[in-house]
Amino acid sequence: MDNQSQNLLTVQNLFKNYQTGASDLPVLKGLSFEIKQGEAVCLLGSSGAGKSTLLQILGTLDRPSSGEVLYRGQNLFELDDESLAEFRNQKMGFVFQFHHLIQELTAIENVMLPALIAKEERESAYQKAMSWLQFMGLSERYDHYPHQLSGGELQRVAIARALIKNPEVLFADEPTGNLDSENSRRVQELFFELKNKLGLTLIIVTHDLQFANLFTRVFKVKDGRFA
Amino acid sequence: MRFYFWLAYRLLFSRQILFGGSAPFSFLGLILGVAALVASMAVMSGYEETLKNAMTDVTGDMQVVRRGKLVDEWSQFSAKLKQIEPRIQAMARFGYAEAVIARKGQVSGVLFQGVELADLNKVLRIQHRVKAGGELKLDADRIAIGQGLAKKFDVKVGEKIYVVVPLATPFDSSGFRRQSKEFLVSAIMDFGKNDWNDRLVLGDLKALQMLTEIGNRYTGAFIKLNNRDESASASLNLLEKLGSGFSVMDWNDVNRNLFEAVKIERAVIFFVVLIIVIVAAFNISSTLYVFIRQKYSDIAILKTLGLSPAKIKQVFLGQGLIVGASGVLLGILLGYILCLGFMFLQNYYSLISGAVYKIDRIDVQIRFLDILVISFSTIFICLLATLSPAVRGSKLEVIEGLKNG
Repeated sequence: MDNQSQNLLTVQNLFKNYQTGASDLPVLKGLSFEIKQGEAVCLLGSSGAGKSTLLQILGTLDRPSSGEVLYRGQNLFELDDESLAEFRNQKMGFVFQFHHLIQELTAIENVMLPALIAKEERESAYQKAMSWLQFMGLSERYDHYPHQLSGGELQRVAIARALIKNPEVLFADEPTGNLDSENSRRVQELFFELKNKLGLTLIIVTHDLQFANLFTRVFKVKDGRFA
Repeated sequence: MRFYFWLAYRLLFSRQILFGGSAPFSFLGLILGVAALVASMAVMSGYEETLKNAMTDVTGDMQVVRRGKLVDEWSQFSAKLKQIEPRIQAMARFGYAEAVIARKGQVSGVLFQGVELADLNKVLRIQHRVKAGGELKLDADRIAIGQGLAKKFDVKVGEKIYVVVPLATPFDSSGFRRQSKEFLVSAIMDFGKNDWNDRLVLGDLKALQMLTEIGNRYTGAFIKLNNRDESASASLNLLEKLGSGFSVMDWNDVNRNLFEAVKIERAVIFFVVLIIVIVAAFNISSTLYVFIRQKYSDIAILKTLGLSPAKIKQVFLGQGLIVGASGVLLGILLGYILCLGFMFLQNYYSLISGAVYKIDRIDVQIRFLDILVISFSTIFICLLATLSPAVRGSKLEVIEGLKNG
């Protein structure tokens, strides 16, 4: 087995430029690194450093201007839109600073979405979603709409949604940025509990140094490069 | 597919779209458009059907008349007709004469039609056209008249009226003598068409034969076919086999121009009223554009969770389908209520001018085919109108959507 396939993610010479009027704004400037399965990686940096852009490219939500992202040796951006969407659904989970729950759906329906997208039976999706809500301590709130839940509860529902398909990688972009210190601490503990329990690979963006200190690997991003 | 419909349905019924902006009005416009289509098609179909029924109720599916001469013998002639055209179900002979009716100093030109009622009942649905007088009875002394004539002469059932027939004198072609008889009006009829109600008198064939001194002869025969929609081919067949001495007319020939005009008008009205549906559907399209702008964040998160652009398009097209189908259902319901209202108001107000439209009452008819065409057109237009917002939604960049959230 070669080195690339032993790594979960291999990033090679990654560039990302944004078009601003007539000129290009370089955001990522030739990043190369590997992430192994089960690692907890923190992308740390100030606002505008490029850490969120990097996370989005690793999560296939955006395409790089040049360079490659290999997942177990496979170049992800060679896949078409349909296959990439299926890949995301099966292998990746996402949590954002704002919960991004769908307001018209109840907590359990929001959690069921990835399973339903994967064409799972409704009953089985319901059971899985309910057990994740139970794990998050939200079983009593399953039929509540997002506007009836608190900030911490919303974020826990969002985490349950990210985990229902048993992903290999969990991406989180400032997951505690919108929470008070108590809820923030609970969510941080939850991430590591999940990592240990499920063998998840965590890739988390934060500018909270205290949170960053919990990680075994920290990439400090500054001006599109690792500092 | 079920999941996409479910998601489309749940996203569609958000507070933003139900209570925000122009969405409810666009939807109402769609419902009104469909209702207008249903009602106008039902009135047009009803007009065509009412007129067709009047034709076949009073003149049969077809009429065979001998040109210039009268027919002498009935049993041989009817057997010949049946042999030529096996699709004939029943026949009844008739005779007619131009006549004048007179009462209390008033006179009016009429067409006096003599029939054999027992045979006639097998061919025409004349009994249900009796407006006053109970079961239709015709004999040597009893006749039935149209309701227009009854109104004009202010005559009621049981009252008497004179029928005068001019007869040519045998030795002087420019002269004539008159033959008259007093008849009892046994029934007042609604013959369906205004000009018939104003001009037609129905009597017994023997009474007509005596009055006009034509012996046992008659003018022609009313014919009922197994299927009246085959009357065009049956009349052509009879015309070919009987030769030029006979004239054969089916119900469509009697008012061919009118029926063709109705067909053309139906199509024109359909497309004119369909414009309302098109306008409403494109209002819905603009509402969906706004909705998609408001839903950037949801679309982005759905893509993040693994919904491909093609599936996002399906969700929004599903919304078009749901809007179209509910618009069709509610529109058909409203159209049906409008038709009932029209039928009800016809009982109290004269909504249709008999002088212009030949009939003064329409039994509106909602045809399955009309409903099918209206439903498919509306849903197709709604799908077309939602295609552009759906494509826009599917092309949304995830990053852009997440920033908007």
